[in-house]
Amino acid sequence: MSFVAAQILNGIATGMLYALMGLGLSLVTGILNIPNFAHGALFAIGAYLLATVAVAIGNFWIALLIAPVGVALLGLAIEYAGIRRLYAAGHDYQLLFTFGLALILSESIILIWGPIGSSYLPPAILRGGADLGFTMYPKYRLFVMMAAGVLVFATWLFLEKTRYGAIMRAGIENKEMVSLLGIDIQKLFTVAFGLGAWLAGIAGALTAPIRGLNPGMGPDMLGIAFVVVALGGLGNLLGAIAAGLIIGVAQALVAAYWTEASTVVIYAVMAVILLVRPQGLFGIR
Amino acid sequence: MSRSSRRHILKAGGAMAVLGFPAIVRAQAKEIVILGLWDQTGAFADVGPINDRGMRMALEERGMMILGRPVKYITRDGATQAGTSTRRVEEAVDGDGAKFVVGPWSSGVALAVSEVAKRKKVVHLFSGGTEDISGARCHRYSFQWAASPYTAAKTVVDSFMEANPKAKRWHLLVADYAFGWSVEKYIKEVGKAHGLEFVGADRHPLGEREFSNYVQKAAANRPDAVAMINFGGDAVSGAREMFNFGLTPKVPLIMTWSSGVEELVQLSPEIRQNVWVGSNFYYTADTPGAKAFVKNYQAKFGNPPGYAPSAAYSMTRLLLAGFDKAGSAEVQDVVKALEGIEINDIVGPMRMDAATHQNIRPYFFMRCKQKGAMKHETDFADIISTGDAPLPKEYAACKDIGGF
Repeated sequence: MSFVAAQILNGIATGMLYALMGLGLSLVTGILNIPNFAHGALFAIGAYLLATVAVAIGNFWIALLIAPVGVALLGLAIEYAGIRRLYAAGHDYQLLFTFGLALILSESIILIWGPIGSSYLPPAILRGGADLGFTMYPKYRLFVMMAAGVLVFATWLFLEKTRYGAIMRAGIENKEMVSLLGIDIQKLFTVAFGLGAWLAGIAGALTAPIRGLNPGMGPDMLGIAFVVVALGGLGNLLGAIAAGLIIGVAQALVAAYWTEASTVVIYAVMAVILLVRPQGLFGIR
Repeated sequence: MSRSSRRHILKAGGAMAVLGFPAIVRAQAKEIVILGLWDQTGAFADVGPINDRGMRMALEERGMMILGRPVKYITRDGATQAGTSTRRVEEAVDGDGAKFVVGPWSSGVALAVSEVAKRKKVVHLFSGGTEDISGARCHRYSFQWAASPYTAAKTVVDSFMEANPKAKRWHLLVADYAFGWSVEKYIKEVGKAHGLEFVGADRHPLGEREFSNYVQKAAANRPDAVAMINFGGDAVSGAREMFNFGLTPKVPLIMTWSSGVEELVQLSPEIRQNVWVGSNFYYTADTPGAKAFVKNYQAKFGNPPGYAPSAAYSMTRLLLAGFDKAGSAEVQDVVKALEGIEINDIVGPMRMDAATHQNIRPYFFMRCKQKGAMKHETDFADIISTGDAPLPKEYAACKDIGGF
């Protein structure tokens, strides 16, 4: 029993990271109405920035603040210099743009940091395991689970309980209406893209000590983020959180009894749920 | 254009046809076209470029000449996919006249390429962990450079148990494809002689990145040792998670079939504590061939070579030795020359078994160094033993290598 509990705990920890990724992607997808293929690359850049800054200044915590901000700035620049210019051209062009951008960013990672991966260890205070009674569990993973939980909750609070969050949700539902109410929809798009990039960046930064750094880490995570968004319902933020947790726990439980299927279960769960609810768990369209 | 100038052009064209084309045909016939099938995209995209380095170095050592004829080295991206790889090989054979193929890097893909080699009757050299190329699916045209999975398993288990005689409870973490299954089978077989108990054996998909679930399961089994039979990114992710969960350095981790340098450089010294590594090559191998190769490689690229460039280098040298022995560049002559050939190369003495096309050669077993004991940044490990026990006849699945 303690083994199953340990697997569920691990599933929740992994699921919180998936939720964080899914939340950012869902926000951007909902607002812009296009899947952002560069979301995985932004995640990877967050991880690389964390390790680079942490090594340079010798402080993990400050690096954890700086790295996602760097990714958010990159996101703002991408929206301002690229995607904004393509709104009039239509979704196909925006789609192609983010796809091309993903390739450019992935190759840039190789040019800047090299093709060979590396490891970055958690800060000394979070190394090793904590005895939870039923299992020994890495302290850093416990920290990530809590940090991701707080971030997910804070993002949800911002979107649900603040005026700007309400405008953003309205933008997801009906852009024309928001625009007609005199709200600068361009600015809304820019902020949403920046926030989405920040979420990808912090997910990457938190993941670096767990999964290390390698140029392929972005595409690896992007696939799961898309599953989370589709499962939760396009543009549905609560759905993304629930879907992230479901995928994480399903993966952990399947790995406990049938390890060969631990990757395929991600897609199997998505297929089954979408067959029953094509609009996703909480989606309405 | 006037009638006379058109006639001039036609005359000139005719002269070209008579003089020029045969010259081109002669030049093409003289060239020996060798294909390096190295992935530039897909799961082994990071390995292809360094495979290419090794192969190119071996050809350049000979001044891109063999038997007094120029070598035309062509490379194609197999994309780490069977469909793409087989198509690219067929194109190179039919369109470029390639009769000699080296690669690819993935066992599963190589099995498909081996079938093309058989059908197109071209020489194929491969290095990888599947036992099928020199086993159940053996034929006259494909040769396996890497040690047999049996040789690897025997070297690893015997050497590890000699150093850790009490570590009898093993948990295995196995990549779920041809290579993983082959090595797992022999680890279990060889383990019987040491009285090993396998308390768990979990298989994971190729390209797995979330190892926490597997490691937690391994920890629950309370093993004396964990042995991973996986490669590249999978091995790096697995080793990192073992450390994160506090299993290593308390419990020794064995990387059974490692790329060596390319994997170890991705792990920090803390993660490498109490890690034991089996590999087809390690750059401190005490052989004259390895010393010269490592020196040249480091001078050229700055870092020591791991298994990938070394395998490509040695496979190419093996092929060139086949040309020398045959005194011919005809496929069947080279195949006959490679069968039973003995050369002393970077790994030490090698002999290509004529009956199975399996290279009989040493396999290396290393122990990673403590951070304080490292003399320089890439001083990852010490070679503690080598082993070259060939696959016993009772296990050999290649009963008849067949004809041409």
